[in-house]
Amino acid sequence: MAFISSGYNPDKPMENRLTDMGPRHFEEFYPEVIKNNKGKWLYHEILKPGVLVHVAESGDEVYTVRVGGARLMSVTHIREICDIADKHCSGHLRFTTRNNIEFMVDSKDKVAPLIKDLESRKFDGGSFKFPIGGTGAGISNIVHTQGWIHCHTPATDASGTVKATMDKVFSDFQNMRMPAHLRISMACCLNMCGAVHCSDIAILGYHRKPPMVDHAYLDKMCEVPLAIAACPTAALKPKKVDLDGTTVNSVEVNKNRCMFCGNCYTMCPSLPLADKDGDGIVLMAGGKVSNRISSPKFSKVVVAFIPNEMPRWPTMTKKITDIIEAYAADARKYERLGEWAERIGWERFFEKTGLEFTHHLIDDFRDPAYYTWRQTTNFKF
Amino acid sequence: MATVEFEGHTFTVDEDGFIEDFNAYNESWVRLVKKEEGIEELTAEHWQVINVLQDYYKKNGIAPMVRILSKLTGFKLKHIYELFPSGPGKGACKMAGLPKPTGCV
Repeated sequence: MAFISSGYNPDKPMENRLTDMGPRHFEEFYPEVIKNNKGKWLYHEILKPGVLVHVAESGDEVYTVRVGGARLMSVTHIREICDIADKHCSGHLRFTTRNNIEFMVDSKDKVAPLIKDLESRKFDGGSFKFPIGGTGAGISNIVHTQGWIHCHTPATDASGTVKATMDKVFSDFQNMRMPAHLRISMACCLNMCGAVHCSDIAILGYHRKPPMVDHAYLDKMCEVPLAIAACPTAALKPKKVDLDGTTVNSVEVNKNRCMFCGNCYTMCPSLPLADKDGDGIVLMAGGKVSNRISSPKFSKVVVAFIPNEMPRWPTMTKKITDIIEAYAADARKYERLGEWAERIGWERFFEKTGLEFTHHLIDDFRDPAYYTWRQTTNFKF
Repeated sequence: MATVEFEGHTFTVDEDGFIEDFNAYNESWVRLVKKEEGIEELTAEHWQVINVLQDYYKKNGIAPMVRILSKLTGFKLKHIYELFPSGPGKGACKMAGLPKPTGCV
């Protein structure tokens, strides 16, 4: 397509330049009923999975219908969301912190037509465009990352693993049969963008091979001290390398100390480590962020490695559903997955979920690893 | 990697316009980058920033942290942005011939 100017003048880039305006104020986009009752809400109820009602002091009610979103979406899809909001919600809508979409209406008789409209919309392949759910003690959307769509350090894909998992747990998105809500998150490398370190179940991309060193370019592309300082186990050291008769500055990787985190590649493009067979997925479990009953927890590694099996990741989704089913069957009401595992003991967690305990799960990172070992005679056979 | 010819010199650059090799730098490079970085005229202050960056890189093998750049040049970050509208990384480091900044940028 031919170039069409927006009015920006590349010869005078600083002319008429607007900056530091920040985002639009959220109050500009309030639905009328939200604006009128802000800060005056009395109580709320979950009417059914995906449908909430909030009642204000004035007696005003706002009904919220929560629908799943794929997070990665086209403008066409956003326009369709806007069409729905225009038709039912006087042009208002919001996105949740787990990237679901919420449509709000101000009276009960507007809910049924909205739900009927949302349920009728499907993609050509058959997937629901706007599945209703994600409330209460069920499984809401999966917080995830970029994967092979856009990032350069991933060890697995984000959108693919998430779609495969959500398909498996779809009935729990539309139901509230869990003991407490169960958060699943996904990150495609252990930068852990998002919430994997604090989710009930976490999918994490993982490498198993040390980086390759591109000696010819390393000193030109990289600030060597940064690559060395990026290593949490000090596996990198500076080295002069003889390359076709010329001596170049480079680094040496001590493969016995490398645990394949990929931090050095983040800092230095000449240390790539992605590998088709080496890369895969680690599953973690038992994290939470809320303060309800117990303090927030980090999630713990429970499956050391699952290979990447594109496009549906069957082994991974099987293990995830194994964990979910064991938790749903055994945990007490209001008990989050981490609270359940800590109450019954992690040895019982592995027994009930059928997951294999391997030496990879035993912490060996610096002094704090010691505190994760068992310094008591209290255990179950 | 693409090559660019300017004032009789040939530079190898990446897709973001950073020079491939610090050692291939010469003053023509600064005049080449100046245009795409929205700088009309190179002043002594521009050169001061470039020289500080190059000295620091030669000595330490890394680009200085922004606070160190501010302290060494005596320019506040706001002034560095006035000199280099793209900022100290994309603007000044590129012009000084340093490698492209990495990490979650």
